[in-house]
Amino acid sequence: MNGNGMTDPSFQNRMPVMIGIGEYHVGSEPMMAIGLGSCIGLTIYDRDHQIGAMVHIMLPDSSGRSDRPGKYADTAVPLLLDKLSEKGCRKASLVVKMAGGACMFEYFGNNLNIGERNAEKVRAILAENHLRIVAEEVGGKSGRTVAFYPDDGGKVTVRSADGAAHEI
Amino acid sequence: MDAMQELGNIGAAHAATTLSQMLSSPVEMSVPKIKVVDVAQLANHIGEESAALVVFELQGEIPHGGYIIIYISRKSAVQLTNTMLGLTDPDRPLNEMDESALLEIGNIMASAFLDATAELLGFIMLPSPPVLTIDMAHAAMQSLIAQMQEEIDEVMLFSTELVCEEHKIDSDLIMMPETSMLKTFVERLENLMKSG
Repeated sequence: MNGNGMTDPSFQNRMPVMIGIGEYHVGSEPMMAIGLGSCIGLTIYDRDHQIGAMVHIMLPDSSGRSDRPGKYADTAVPLLLDKLSEKGCRKASLVVKMAGGACMFEYFGNNLNIGERNAEKVRAILAENHLRIVAEEVGGKSGRTVAFYPDDGGKVTVRSADGAAHEI
Repeated sequence: MDAMQELGNIGAAHAATTLSQMLSSPVEMSVPKIKVVDVAQLANHIGEESAALVVFELQGEIPHGGYIIIYISRKSAVQLTNTMLGLTDPDRPLNEMDESALLEIGNIMASAFLDATAELLGFIMLPSPPVLTIDMAHAAMQSLIAQMQEEIDEVMLFSTELVCEEHKIDSDLIMMPETSMLKTFVERLENLMKSG
């Protein structure tokens, strides 16, 4: 099956849940985060229950803020794990994938490559929870749109501005 | 808010004039809009479509004052450089020459915008060297918001549409100030109104 929604007939009937910056969603329906630059789209799929969780992370550290846990890598990862755990998911059957974390503006970024720091923080917090990423597409200079299909084997597709979508 | 809109109006009018001169063609300008956008809803305002964005950081008396963004849809970007470079194919890919032209156009427009607003406010705002990206618009805006000095959940966008009908060019001039810059704007405008 190719990842291009336009040629996938089932896509027509399945509008994905759009996940804005700092938002997250848990369920079996398709989910999507559009136009990730330095942001990260993190997906966790549970093979046992065919459900998944996705979050759109913007910054590495919450520095103690708790009102938007999905916005920060250090709070977003535990948030998704808690939500999946509430649904009865076991850690051993989770499949974690990540995309985004680009550096589109090197000049303004100076020495703070937020995309890279986001990705590093996600990896670190996952490691603390004894989880690792099985597939990722991070870094580079280009924006990405990420789609997640928990009811299709947890498939994750990534598309860039030129429109080519591929599975990771 | 009215005063802020007037400020945007004066700046954008100067930018529109310079664009019009470069194209030798009339440029229409919309009423400037001030939008307060929750970052979670950014995609409702700026989508994943491919666009050329010429970005400047606001510098000067306030060293990191926010950003000026000249947003040109990909189609309009080709139309714009075609007009400037005397080319005609509307479907050609953008090359290095286009990139230089877009940077130059952006530079002139941003300078005109900042000169006019700085003169009104009586303090110096300078554009950083421009950076051009031709990519998903949302991804570019999101990256800028993530690296703002003060962490925010809502962003204020001053947006004015500049349209050249003759050449089918549609562009948006967007100012996204940092909180510190916004405070300075408000203070200066209040002083101006008191003294005026």
